[in-house]
Amino acid sequence: MKLAVITLMLAPATVVVVSFMIVPAIITILMSFTNLDYRFIWEWVGLANYQKFISDINTPIFVRNTIIYVAGTLTFNVGMGLFLALVSTHIHDTLGTLMRALWYLPRVMPSVIYAFIMMWIFSPMDTGFLNTVLKALGGEPVPWTFQYYWPFLFIVNGFIGCSFGMVIFSSAIKAIPQDYIIAAKVDGASQLTIIRRIILPLIKWQIAFVVAYQTLSLLASFEYILLTLDGGPGYYSTEVMILQAYHLAFGQYLASMRYGYAAVFVTILLVIGLVLSIVYWRVFRLRELMAEPKME
Amino acid sequence: MRVKASTILLYAVAVVLIVVITVPILLLLGLAFSESPVTIKGFTLENFSYLRKGVLFENDPVYSKLYPNVYSVAFNTLLLALGNMLLVVFISSMAGYVISRYSFRGRSAILGAFLVIHGVPASVLLIALYFMLREMKLLNTILGVVLVRMSVDLPLGVWVLKGFYDSIPWDLEIASMVDGTSRLGAFYRVMLPLVKPGIFAVALFSFLSGWGEYIFVYTFIQSQTNWTFSLLIRSLIGEMGGINLSLIAALSVFYLIPVIVLFVVGEKYLVRVTIGGVKG
Repeated sequence: MKLAVITLMLAPATVVVVSFMIVPAIITILMSFTNLDYRFIWEWVGLANYQKFISDINTPIFVRNTIIYVAGTLTFNVGMGLFLALVSTHIHDTLGTLMRALWYLPRVMPSVIYAFIMMWIFSPMDTGFLNTVLKALGGEPVPWTFQYYWPFLFIVNGFIGCSFGMVIFSSAIKAIPQDYIIAAKVDGASQLTIIRRIILPLIKWQIAFVVAYQTLSLLASFEYILLTLDGGPGYYSTEVMILQAYHLAFGQYLASMRYGYAAVFVTILLVIGLVLSIVYWRVFRLRELMAEPKME
Repeated sequence: MRVKASTILLYAVAVVLIVVITVPILLLLGLAFSESPVTIKGFTLENFSYLRKGVLFENDPVYSKLYPNVYSVAFNTLLLALGNMLLVVFISSMAGYVISRYSFRGRSAILGAFLVIHGVPASVLLIALYFMLREMKLLNTILGVVLVRMSVDLPLGVWVLKGFYDSIPWDLEIASMVDGTSRLGAFYRVMLPLVKPGIFAVALFSFLSGWGEYIFVYTFIQSQTNWTFSLLIRSLIGEMGGINLSLIAALSVFYLIPVIVLFVVGEKYLVRVTIGGVKG
């Protein structure tokens, strides 16, 4: 009876996860050993795709871009998340709650709308919002997305990503016993000293967790690059690995539908993702979250 | 006096932060009601004229044929969001319960697998999923997108609901079983009502994620009859991004209404989804 209940209630979730997540992961790895293309014929080619990946002159560009993108967005994300958490926990609670709510909004906003507004704000044309403001102030228009494409992407992705750190950090800061802070104040510590010497050390695990978690998701996220600069401007300026995989498979040019070669990029990211998952699983003792149930 | 100055500075920073994040929304509204097609100037309802018949570019027969009816697009978007929501809530409320309340072999392996899987974004599986949907003859259908989107949101839903079940005291369940209910009866009559906030949180989250979905729709859907808002707006941006921003903004405002309403209603629930299971 017990077994029947467990099987019955767990089966749908397991079936879904296995067939739409685990099977595709295996298919991707298998694909990377074939030259699957628009004909949809599985032709085994061994490690040829991997050899091509290593010898391709563009590979270093994609790898470098991925590192820049992940590191830059991560810095913006975590820094901004921390800043928002600190400010919102030090002001009146009503205002702090409102602030956190508003900063959470980009996360639930449809990505096309968000990308559309950001592209208009930072448009390199004279009609872009920032350039209209600049001109009204008597300045010269700036070709924002042409000249500062990396900062632009850090901001676009960071405005969404920072709410994650903000939520986690602010609940951690609120959980700090007030005694510590009062004692420090009695001793004459300034607010900045309190933040540096008490708050930051006490939430260092949360910071490490957010960094680990976001690294993982940034490695494989490309939606907002696709919606804004799409790998440009110019020759692969912002083309990260996962975006290149997408372009190889679903791009609009003749070079697309190269599923086998695209799968190489994905396989590499999957392996990195898996290793990182295991590391943060170990480091953050997530096993403790899985305390055994009491009954039976 | 020194304390006061720093307090004023702190509040000034807070106000700036609040203003900065509201600017994009205000600009969108300004554009949607703007008389000029490319900047914010004046006030008009002209950009919303598509609401009458659902036809974009009513006065331009050539252009109007290029785009599907706005209301049929809205219907597809709703279908995707509701389908995603119902499936995620239904499946994760069962799985979360079993993982929280039963001990069995492989329990922590399943839980761990869900966590790891959730950590690796599903967009990496796009190519294989495309291939699978093609084999299953589900390419170019809303159902195919729903299945994929639902499986992406599911591990998070299971984690969040498991957390909610964990927080309910065992006494309640034991008491109801002493009173003669079966285990399943206790689940249905006692536990489910108690985790309503969790179910609400997961429902909101998965509705919004289906409603805003772009990549999967863009990759798996070809024919216009199956377009959702994200595809319609994206296609308009592609074809007239520099020419008619105010129309795109007006359409975006229409697309955004349910999001804002649900966000205002359930913001505190959505935040719990972030804490429970996590998404960069």
